[in-house]
Amino acid sequence: MGQQCDLSLRGYVNDSGTSQPLEYVNVLVSETGVGTTTDSTGFFSLDNLCSGEAHLVISHIGCETQQWYINLKSDTLLHLQMDHSENLLHDVVITGQSIEKTTQYSQTISSQKITDEADKDLSRLLEDMTGVSTLKNGSGIAKPVIHGLYGNRLSILNNGILQSGQKWGNDHSPEIDPMVAQKIRVVKGTAALEYVGSQLGGVILIDVDRLDEEPHLHGKASYFYETNGRGHGTNLQLQQYSPEISWKVNGTLKKNGDRSTPDYFLNNTGSQQANLAVQLQKSFSPRLEVSLYGSTFNNEIGILRGSHIGNVTDLETALGRDIPFFTEPRFSYEIEAPRQVVNHQLLKLSGRYVYDDDRIIEISMAAQLNDRKEYDVRRGGQSDTPALFLSQANFFTQLKYKDSDLFQQWGMSSGIQVDLTDNTNQPETGILPLIPDYTSLKTGAFILFNKRIKQSFVDIGLRYDQVFQNAVTISRTLPREIIRYDNVFHNLSVSLGWQYLWADDFTISSNIGFAMRNPAINELYSSGLHQGVSGIEEGDPGLSGEQSVKTVVSFKWKATGALFLESLIYYQQIKDYIYLRPEEEFRLTVRGAFPVFTYDQTDVQLYGLDFTADYELSPSLHAKLAYSYIRANDLVANTELINIPANNLNALLRYEVNQSVKLLGIQLDKCSFSMDGLWVFGKNELLAEQDFAAVPDAYQLLNAKLSFDINLPHTRLRWLLRVDNVLNQSYRDYLNRQRYFADDLGRNVVLGLNVSF
Amino acid sequence: MHRLLFLPVALLFLLSSCSKDDPIIPNEEEVITTLIYSLTPDSGGAVVELKFVDLDGEGGDAPVITTADLNSNTSYTGSVRLLNEQLSPAENITAEIQEEDEDHQFFYQSTVAGMIISYDDVDGNNQPVGISTMLQTGDAGSGMLTITLRHEPNKSASGVVISDPSNAGGETDIEIRFPINVQ
Repeated sequence: MGQQCDLSLRGYVNDSGTSQPLEYVNVLVSETGVGTTTDSTGFFSLDNLCSGEAHLVISHIGCETQQWYINLKSDTLLHLQMDHSENLLHDVVITGQSIEKTTQYSQTISSQKITDEADKDLSRLLEDMTGVSTLKNGSGIAKPVIHGLYGNRLSILNNGILQSGQKWGNDHSPEIDPMVAQKIRVVKGTAALEYVGSQLGGVILIDVDRLDEEPHLHGKASYFYETNGRGHGTNLQLQQYSPEISWKVNGTLKKNGDRSTPDYFLNNTGSQQANLAVQLQKSFSPRLEVSLYGSTFNNEIGILRGSHIGNVTDLETALGRDIPFFTEPRFSYEIEAPRQVVNHQLLKLSGRYVYDDDRIIEISMAAQLNDRKEYDVRRGGQSDTPALFLSQANFFTQLKYKDSDLFQQWGMSSGIQVDLTDNTNQPETGILPLIPDYTSLKTGAFILFNKRIKQSFVDIGLRYDQVFQNAVTISRTLPREIIRYDNVFHNLSVSLGWQYLWADDFTISSNIGFAMRNPAINELYSSGLHQGVSGIEEGDPGLSGEQSVKTVVSFKWKATGALFLESLIYYQQIKDYIYLRPEEEFRLTVRGAFPVFTYDQTDVQLYGLDFTADYELSPSLHAKLAYSYIRANDLVANTELINIPANNLNALLRYEVNQSVKLLGIQLDKCSFSMDGLWVFGKNELLAEQDFAAVPDAYQLLNAKLSFDINLPHTRLRWLLRVDNVLNQSYRDYLNRQRYFADDLGRNVVLGLNVSF
Repeated sequence: MHRLLFLPVALLFLLSSCSKDDPIIPNEEEVITTLIYSLTPDSGGAVVELKFVDLDGEGGDAPVITTADLNSNTSYTGSVRLLNEQLSPAENITAEIQEEDEDHQFFYQSTVAGMIISYDDVDGNNQPVGISTMLQTGDAGSGMLTITLRHEPNKSASGVVISDPSNAGGETDIEIRFPINVQ
């Protein structure tokens, strides 16, 4: 069969966010290396192409490079969209009709950023979003904080499944490898009501996309090395589509040794990770698709030896030191007690039936197993016996129905969900458990509507959850007795949003939401010494649920062709907010007197502002400014809340070379260099008695990044060089609990290489 | 499709009848419930015992501290005993400490005027342990005696003496304050 080689391929490339045509987009036929560049109208044209299969690689500065599979049979015109910007707020409304549209902007982290920053964990990736911070315990443990809320008040969904685990602990990171994600989103407002879990603080979605209809084997391999901690990491992704069965595998290995501050090693802060995810997808008909997803996450984290303390005297001694105890001038990859070993397994089976263009039915079932072992430095050779060992099993079932054209073009999404958690303490610890064994059954239903009415877009959502808890506690007095508790809670969430397109370049949106959260098991029944914070924590079985009202107003304004502004203001009031209240008396134990913290309720308010300005100084020079302000107070005691992030300002300057650069005969594309400065302000509003140590001073950090691509036939290479804390500044961060003991991380140089084929 | 729809319903029935099994109460081997500091007068006479007992460990009921009067200007030989009385028979934790004596050190801080306490034992590295001590009282008076046990201290750190553990680091396993009356 002779090949026809006189075909033409033309197309337009637009920015998916602004719909503006994109100039200087490189369009390349991967097989032949023939390429061109778009003009000012976003138009490109390739002539004299042969018929048959080909891969089109489109790349643009500041965008994620995309590869499209095409089977060329005749002259073809394409309309392509590129996702511009790394983690700007996305304008998700007005165009399109899918129910996923919402009046509240969702923030997205692209897969390019995830791969570029493969050394970072989930929380540290999210940190770059305005309004998102991290609560840390050293460099290895980090959990996200969104608008001042974290832990039990935030939900994380991994591939649509509510992450089950010990999220109550401030020193427990989410057990997810971000490398499995195509994108990571933070969703608030009405759209968040679709997801099971707490509705107070928003939902973090780890999106694992459906596999593209791309019949060839493709993959991505990446490797990084970082100087701080001498860490290595590698990730391999392979995928292939076939009408029989499509598959993808994704594996990650990471290891690092002791991190260091500018002046000394942080001994015993190594970590290692081995993760694997397998995705299978099969279409039984054009309408019915079934997929199976399994992932395993295995992480071991060392905790700074000098931060392990026995009592309040030890804490006070540690606070008075410049350099922590047990600091040695010696680097090691070894991980000893105190350390954490966390394993998380997920298996998900889901079916998707496309009834017609507008209606989709989805069924998902998932099982999760989560094991958490925490090892302390113990007497009698017991350091290898965990001091805390919790096993959690979770089963989740969901039925979802979406109709994007219900009467009069209302979009509708509805569903029911059942979530069962079974949590067990393994008795081999030889220590009375901090939180009891329990089962919890959550049954929920939601319905969301949205509609575009002229220049407006509105959405309404309603969600109801019934939560049944069965907890089995062990008495603290002798003889040890078993006390059972049965609870039923009802949570209702309502959300109402409105967005108005004032003009093509100005959008305003607002959302008001009511949400309830039942007390979590740790808040009800915790009992015992929390070693890490040197305090005795006691739950209160009489706690009631929290009720929150949150209002958000935001706008986006493309002030000129080059200046883009967006701002978000929020006010949230939470009635019966559950928190740890320090008691006045100390409790005497064999280890001395300990402060006692009891879970209690109060009324609080949180309010703040996120502001971003983007300015294109020239087609290749780009400036960005992001500012986050937040305050939170206890309305009853008239004090500030603890663990609220400090206000911060980030300024970024990026220089990008639009055209290819030839260096030593190699063609470099998408050369980009950026520098950014981070100002973290102090927190003068906290009272001295609210913390063991004074709030750290304000600090500034400077970071830099250089990257470029090399396009080879069938293969793309991307090189990256990133320097965090360029000036090797000594600092301590308020939200890092390790600040009681040691400085934060010194300079880190990360060298990365990604290969896509 | 029908079978898929049935599964969640079946699961729901299965789950709604669930009640958590009784937990296995862990064997608390590491707990120190009792500390007894016995002081035997070198010149003979009744043994004085300072005692701390907290049978249910941290939390629960408050510990019981019993103390006794010491004689002025007297030399005593001190010895400390640690027990876990939750187990029957009671576990001798002093023996465990003795085995790991290089990783443990007792400290004795007194606010009683004229009272001098010194170590009377050493570990394999010729560093003090503090299970055995000598105590010399001065004139009559009163104050507090704090007995501290540190795990994994740096025994040779500068400034570390029997009455000052602050530079030793490690974790505190015991910190008990006894009111003392010397008459």
